[in-house]
Amino acid sequence: MNWALLSLALPLLSAFWVLLVRRAVSETILFATLVSLTAALAAFYQVQSDPVQTLLLGDWTLPLAIRFELTSLNALLMVLTATIHFLVGLYNRFSRHGSGRYSDYWPLSAVLHSALVALWLSRDLFNWYVTLELLTLVAVALVTLSGPKAYRAALGYLVLSLIASLFYLLGVALLYGEYGVLDLDRLSALAVDSANTRLALLLMVLGLMLKAALWPLYLWLPDAHANAPTAVSALLSALVVKGPLFILWLTLTQIAPVEFAQQLGLIFALFGSVALLSGAWSALRTPYLKTLVAYSTVAQLGYALITLGLLLRWQTPELATALWLFVIAHALAKVSAFLAAGEMQATFGSKELIAVRGASQSMPLAMFAFAVAGGSLIGLPPSGGFLAKWILLQPLFAEPAHWPWALAILLGTLASAAYVFRVVALAFDRYDVETELPQTDALAQWLSLLPALVVWGLALISQPLMLWLSTGANP
Amino acid sequence: MTEFQLFLGLGLLLFLLGVHGLVLSEHTIRRLIAINVSGGGVFLVMVSLASRGDSVDPVMQALVVTGLVVAVSATAFALRLGSALTRAESSDREGDH
Repeated sequence: MNWALLSLALPLLSAFWVLLVRRAVSETILFATLVSLTAALAAFYQVQSDPVQTLLLGDWTLPLAIRFELTSLNALLMVLTATIHFLVGLYNRFSRHGSGRYSDYWPLSAVLHSALVALWLSRDLFNWYVTLELLTLVAVALVTLSGPKAYRAALGYLVLSLIASLFYLLGVALLYGEYGVLDLDRLSALAVDSANTRLALLLMVLGLMLKAALWPLYLWLPDAHANAPTAVSALLSALVVKGPLFILWLTLTQIAPVEFAQQLGLIFALFGSVALLSGAWSALRTPYLKTLVAYSTVAQLGYALITLGLLLRWQTPELATALWLFVIAHALAKVSAFLAAGEMQATFGSKELIAVRGASQSMPLAMFAFAVAGGSLIGLPPSGGFLAKWILLQPLFAEPAHWPWALAILLGTLASAAYVFRVVALAFDRYDVETELPQTDALAQWLSLLPALVVWGLALISQPLMLWLSTGANP
Repeated sequence: MTEFQLFLGLGLLLFLLGVHGLVLSEHTIRRLIAINVSGGGVFLVMVSLASRGDSVDPVMQALVVTGLVVAVSATAFALRLGSALTRAESSDREGDH
């Protein structure tokens, strides 16, 4: 647990430090992120011998204490968070199109890192509310870094996030009013099927769905994610929307009455299927490159929603392995896709998708990164995306009654292939010989390729990965 | 109707009023006020739940205080962002002429 706390505290302390000192800003944060990554790995190693570690903050006893819990699942999520922050930080530091060495990106991203780790570790409804608010405020501040053109999108994001937090908070208040506890395990033991519990959970679900941009409450996402600076888009799509998803999964599997969870599960699975198709449709129609990648996040979250829905519908905790594998694969692939897209957009000097025409010649590395990441988004074997989809599809194929869901997922796969190939095909168009080749940045392109290679590398460790996720995901 | 039910009902009503206002209004300040009305409603629900028994529940009150801090800072941030947006848009308009 000590390693986990170190991984949580370091980014936060370094953020305050650089705000005070204002020297060597990017170096300090990058170093702190690297140490935090090492600590997360140590925590992950430790949790193998001692599967569930708990900590009561400030040595208070339950029910007053805030409980932290470390399992192999959230240790893995901590490693993922730190890895992505480190890679995106490197890109932001060394790319010509990054935000520069002294920008506010550095302390804000470090606070975002800490808020996410606190969210993964917490098992307390109200502490989750605090981490959600922290995530929102920092994420909105990060979006505004791209200047006045992003203010409208940032404000829209902030307003919707605030009302979503209030829905969540009202739900928490009603649950506390009925049971008098906020700790997840205590609630899980006490919760009964009452009208108040259902109402409270429904309010929390609405708030969390809005925050996680799950269909049909996703309308703020494309604007906010596409208008943010490239490094920020990568963090938002890869990590920030997964926080509320984590809370949604834990509360519904632990607290929700079975009958209610099954009804919600069916709705989730239906919404998820629609998200797959409508997100992909919008991605196919948009004229802008980064908006296409943002809509792809909407579509990809559809898989997460279907998986969560079927998990609740059939009360099969095993599907959690698919859910979290999916989240990890999407996070890595989406970092690559956004960094490659942002790098191309900045190099060609145009937001339009049409600008990538001929990019396979002028920026082959970035285009390769986009295609490799796209391969995992589609779910081509042997990528991480394929692995997640395979685990999800197995129980679906086993029984004829489940085939419609399998069909929805396969249609979604086709649709995601369509928007990935829309970009790739354009990039392979012949480059106009008379125009001058733009100055490209090889290092930035290599950095955008790295996460995509990691996601394909996941297939090599698929067996232990599934084992870690299944032990961590079934508390 | 007891005092508890009255305040609980009022709190829920305020929450819904705020949500209603948020959905219907376009103007930034109106939307922020709507959010704060909703927030007030949630805090009223929490406070009335806290004082329902013989003794007041201090945990719930502590939660309300934390919630107030969050609400104040979020509102301040949103107001600043809103004024920056207005300034950016008005300077854009002047630039067009």
